[in-house]
Amino acid sequence: MSARLERIYRLLLCAYPPEFRAKYGREMLLVFRDQCREGDVRSVRFWARVFWDVARSAPALRAEATRTVEVHMKFAAVVTVLLGALGILGAVGEWIAGSRQPMGATYVLAVVLGVSAFGLLLGAGLAILLQRRQAARLALVASLVMISGARLLFPWMGIFAQLVGFGLPVALLIALYWPGKPARASA
Amino acid sequence: MVAKRRGERAPEAFLPLAPATFQILLALTNDELHGYAIMKSVVTRSAGSVQLGPGTLYGALKRLLEAGLVEEAGERADPEHDDERRRYYRLTSLGVSVARAEARRLEAMVRAARRKKLIGERPA
Repeated sequence: MSARLERIYRLLLCAYPPEFRAKYGREMLLVFRDQCREGDVRSVRFWARVFWDVARSAPALRAEATRTVEVHMKFAAVVTVLLGALGILGAVGEWIAGSRQPMGATYVLAVVLGVSAFGLLLGAGLAILLQRRQAARLALVASLVMISGARLLFPWMGIFAQLVGFGLPVALLIALYWPGKPARASA
Repeated sequence: MVAKRRGERAPEAFLPLAPATFQILLALTNDELHGYAIMKSVVTRSAGSVQLGPGTLYGALKRLLEAGLVEEAGERADPEHDDERRRYYRLTSLGVSVARAEARRLEAMVRAARRKKLIGERPA
């Protein structure tokens, strides 16, 4: 198969979702090579079939890929809302436990920052569910800033609170920015 | 008979199959084939009435793999083509059951059409 035909087909493969291209792009190119070997590549009929195949299959696979990402994001959002609520309850519990003794201003500020951070995390989860991605990103960044402040003021913060407070916003920010990245040509 | 795995859907839950999907399952029945061999098998069996392009074929294979009806059977070069290594596919036991269920469904429909005299009697 001439390199020119292969280049044309590689361009057509860009119509498919990146994950699909990564898994099946090479195989599809091999099949196209076989078709070129056994078909008349100079005929209109041959190319009409090639274009029709891409036009028919690529949009459906793109729609499927989007649906899969959306389902994962919705699940992550629900988990975020639950963990945010759990974090607020934990911080309130911390406050009640600490209130039996005289509390320093630093401790109070750390608890307030912690509650705010988990409140923002909960808000980010709700924003993702409501398809407000920009609002979710802002809430996640603000949550990271607040939890960092709380951690600096209160170094004895529990490992669970740290994992959720730092890990979850970072993971969600990556997931929220991921689809915006240009697709890698991998066919 | 292979025991049904927990959470595995009943073969009837996949029916009716799209014609192209059934053709792919038929091509893979008793055979491990790569993409182009599946395409050729489908064209030959359907006398050219079903023609799968690479996008349609691999889109269908992706869904069949996800549904657990087909599995990958490794990569190797095709002795006929003697070129690059190709990924081969084969039916799973669930895939065989689904193909069998679809064949039975179609057979029942053909019987109904015969009773209504839409088509002739079975040739001897």
